Amino acid sequence: MAHPQQPPVPTSVLDGAVEDYPSDWKYWRVAIILFVLTAIEVSTYVLADSVFSDSRVLIATLLFLMVVKFWAVAWYFMHLKFDKRILTVAFYSGLALAMVVYLCMLLAFRYFGDDGMICPSESLNCITEG
Amino acid sequence: MAVADAPLALPSGAPSHDGKVLGVFTRAQRTTGWRSWITGVDHKKVGIMYGAAAIFFLLIGGFEALLIRMQLWAPRQQLLSADVYNQVYTMHGTTMVFLVVMPIGAAFANYLLPLQIGARDVAFPRLNAFSFWCFLFGGIFLNTSWLLGGGADGGWFMYAPNNGVLYSPSHGIDFWVLGLIITGIASMVSSVNLIVTVLNMRAPGMSMMKMPIFTWMTLVTQFLLLFALPVITVALFLLMFSRIFGAAFFNIDDGANPLLWQHLFWIFGHPEVYLMILPSFGLISEILPVFSRKPIFGYSFIVFSGVAIAFMGFGVWAHHMFVSGLGPTSVLVFSLTTMFIAVPTGVKILNWTATMWGGRLRFDTPLLFSIGLITMFTIGGLSGVSHSIAPADTQQTDTYYIVAHFHYVLFGGAFFGFMGGFYYYWPKVFGYMLSEKMGKWNFWVLFLGFNLTFGPMHIIGLQGMSRRYYTYDPNFGFDIWNKIATIGAFTIALSVILFIVNIALSYKRSKSLPPVGADPWDARTLEWITPNPTPEWNFDPIPTVTRVDDFWYQKYEETADGGLVKVRDAKDIVQDSDGVGVHLPSPSYWPIVLAFGLPIVAYGLIFSWWLCLLGGAIIVTAMFGWAFEPPDDPEAAHGHGHDEAGHDDHGSAADVDALEQEVAPVG
Amino acid sequence: MADTATFEPVHETGRDAAAPHAHIEHDTNTGISNTKLAMWLFLGSECLLFGALLTTYLLYKNPLPGQGPTREQLFDIPFTSASSFVLLMSSLTMVLAVAAIERSDHHRMRIWLGATAVLGSLFIAGQIYEFTTFYAEGLGYTTSRFGSAFYTLTGFHGVHVTAGIIMLVSLLLWSLRGNLPEHRSETVEVVGLYWHFVDVVWIVLFAVVYLIP
Repeated sequence: MAHPQQPPVPTSVLDGAVEDYPSDWKYWRVAIILFVLTAIEVSTYVLADSVFSDSRVLIATLLFLMVVKFWAVAWYFMHLKFDKRILTVAFYSGLALAMVVYLCMLLAFRYFGDDGMICPSESLNCITEG
Repeated sequence: MAVADAPLALPSGAPSHDGKVLGVFTRAQRTTGWRSWITGVDHKKVGIMYGAAAIFFLLIGGFEALLIRMQLWAPRQQLLSADVYNQVYTMHGTTMVFLVVMPIGAAFANYLLPLQIGARDVAFPRLNAFSFWCFLFGGIFLNTSWLLGGGADGGWFMYAPNNGVLYSPSHGIDFWVLGLIITGIASMVSSVNLIVTVLNMRAPGMSMMKMPIFTWMTLVTQFLLLFALPVITVALFLLMFSRIFGAAFFNIDDGANPLLWQHLFWIFGHPEVYLMILPSFGLISEILPVFSRKPIFGYSFIVFSGVAIAFMGFGVWAHHMFVSGLGPTSVLVFSLTTMFIAVPTGVKILNWTATMWGGRLRFDTPLLFSIGLITMFTIGGLSGVSHSIAPADTQQTDTYYIVAHFHYVLFGGAFFGFMGGFYYYWPKVFGYMLSEKMGKWNFWVLFLGFNLTFGPMHIIGLQGMSRRYYTYDPNFGFDIWNKIATIGAFTIALSVILFIVNIALSYKRSKSLPPVGADPWDARTLEWITPNPTPEWNFDPIPTVTRVDDFWYQKYEETADGGLVKVRDAKDIVQDSDGVGVHLPSPSYWPIVLAFGLPIVAYGLIFSWWLCLLGGAIIVTAMFGWAFEPPDDPEAAHGHGHDEAGHDDHGSAADVDALEQEVAPVG
Repeated sequence: MADTATFEPVHETGRDAAAPHAHIEHDTNTGISNTKLAMWLFLGSECLLFGALLTTYLLYKNPLPGQGPTREQLFDIPFTSASSFVLLMSSLTMVLAVAAIERSDHHRMRIWLGATAVLGSLFIAGQIYEFTTFYAEGLGYTTSRFGSAFYTLTGFHGVHVTAGIIMLVSLLLWSLRGNLPEHRSETVEVVGLYWHFVDVVWIVLFAVVYLIP
């Protein structure tokens, strides 16, 4: 395949990024971190009875890891770090709206019990009581 | 699908684009004649087609409304059976919301938005054409249910568990679900398209806060669509899976909660009512300053109240569900948010009134309709605030009071604004004026008919007449008000006929009149800097904008004591170019082909899996054909010669004919 | 970050020089190309789609007693973890493909695109295996509210992944036919955005559906 003999075009000219995209090595490092975080997530399953016997600690840990992983992929792999901020705003406004609206909906269903925890699974229909 | 027979061979030297795309079609090139409508990607053509299709559906939905009113003319009427009545009011609501009000908004958005921001087209012209065809085929698909076993019968919000196969065994709701998914795809695509257009394609100098208000309101509308449509899409998919595959989402025996449907529907549904009204708000925000000869009062307040409405519109959905047993906390919270959302709307009403205050008012038809919107919407808004008080709402739910409320905001609000927009922009789009005399008749007949129809519904609603009952007993005192409402409904029908007759007569008369000229209304905003009707290339050259109402301030200057002096005539400002060398997006067959595949899949889901395969094959072929077709034909659209420009002018006249033909037989 | 420039018209020059069909990508007010902005808006909207499905799942995640197997009986965490790793790594290969074409390294780009498509297909194969296993263990689509909600949520995600694989393969074929020159490299990036989004959705689903008890 004959490639046009042109000098590489700078990123910002191609798609309006404000910083040049990083080297491959940086992506590998992010991937390794993601790999480790996922390993920790999975380990909670193994260690559920010892370290994470308190389910609140377990859920908090998992949610925290989830948010970090989500952020890392969006920030580095999806180039939000390097692109104009309006893209971050467009995406995260959708995400924030989704979280607020659906959280309100779950609250209206009384999905969370009095202690803020999800109703126990044996509860037949914690979504319709009241 | 016809293969274009015009000589379309590309000049040699373009090896990567052979004329045939996937070996099926030669690249469409026609810019005149009926093919130019089928394959056209010009935002103006798409906008006109949206409008024509919406008026066609308006006649269908209006006919359904007349059936409802005839059935309720007298107690214990037997014109429609209870079952047919259910179908008629469901389809009336669905048609009016999804196939009339939303598409008319889309028609104005498509036509005006690029013109108001100084662009030559939208960001993705082929996707734009796809949106229209998708909407049209979805709407036709939805209405074919009448011929294939009856329409949907669950009310336009189709509450669970009534929407299940158990309670609605016909295919009506299947048609409803799939038809709305298809029209939802159309709105979704066009929302992304129009947002990108506004954010990315403004003319030099046109910063966000210099955009015309209609553009702002359309932008807000598209954001509402962008974020509300996925919710209804999920709800529709859940319902489809429940009905077709037997999923348990709304099946109480499986521990499902029917309120899930209500939540999902109204999380979409409430932003939906704002996205129906905001384009109208935008239109009258254009009309009022022109006919008051004053700048809009509080530009930034109008803009930001629109944005506020959009945000808050996502936080009030449960006020539709006060009687569903949400519990006191939810009811309290949603009561309060509902009361608050009246504030930004009130800001707008104040701004419009203040715009007219002290202005030199010119009571032409567009202004009459705008004033109609302000007054009627205010009445509807006030009855709306009365719903936010939960105890009162408990009494009003599912009565005619609610019916009166939402007709005052959607008919008295959205539709009056659209009518004003039709009269105001008709010369811009078609190059001739609608008759003022008939326009005034049109307004007053509509205004009278509207109030006769929906005014009495407040009374019978509070007296306790339930909506959606197919008849009533004679001794409840409903008789006289129902008779008045039915007379009013036929008065509305008369005014719609007046409108269509006005279009036809004015067109006929315009042939013997001089051309309408560049600036018939002494207008203010950028779209009027182009000649009427708008040439295919919109702007040549692209203008540079310096302030809000740029066109106006090129015509007028302020004197030291605040008066206005005309410094230049509109004739000298309006562009006069033959468009030579303007590059335009090329037409394409693929949008209509892709859109055509969707209803076939939908029929397949209802009747036979083989049709799904066929439809799927069409969709996949169309997608690849689309992807491999360059967005712009590199050779075809370069350089409009003088002759071609001349043809374009003829084309515009032919376009008017096409619209007439589409509208007239139905009327 | 150029916040202030966001709403100011930006008029770049020089982009056309490298691009024969430069008029396709007009200079834009935000400085971001139309396609990329459109993809991000679409992804913002997809958040609400998956949010609604996830909410439905959360409400229905426990079947009524006696209505088929429960999550605890079905979920095979080690297996799902493996397929989650696969999808996560496909994000890495995707971003490497984007980086490659921006260096005009078409050969590497094709390798990484192919790798991404293969990893995605592995994930889908895993999902098909998972679905058939669950079905064999008694969880049909209509067995319980849990069955309906689970298959719908993960099925929607699976359909998104499949669409992504089709796009990747198309890009690969397109590139092999020589139709993907540097000035079109953004197409790869935009498909990449979609692919990463599908991955972040899975990050959420893996934690919320599988791991949180």
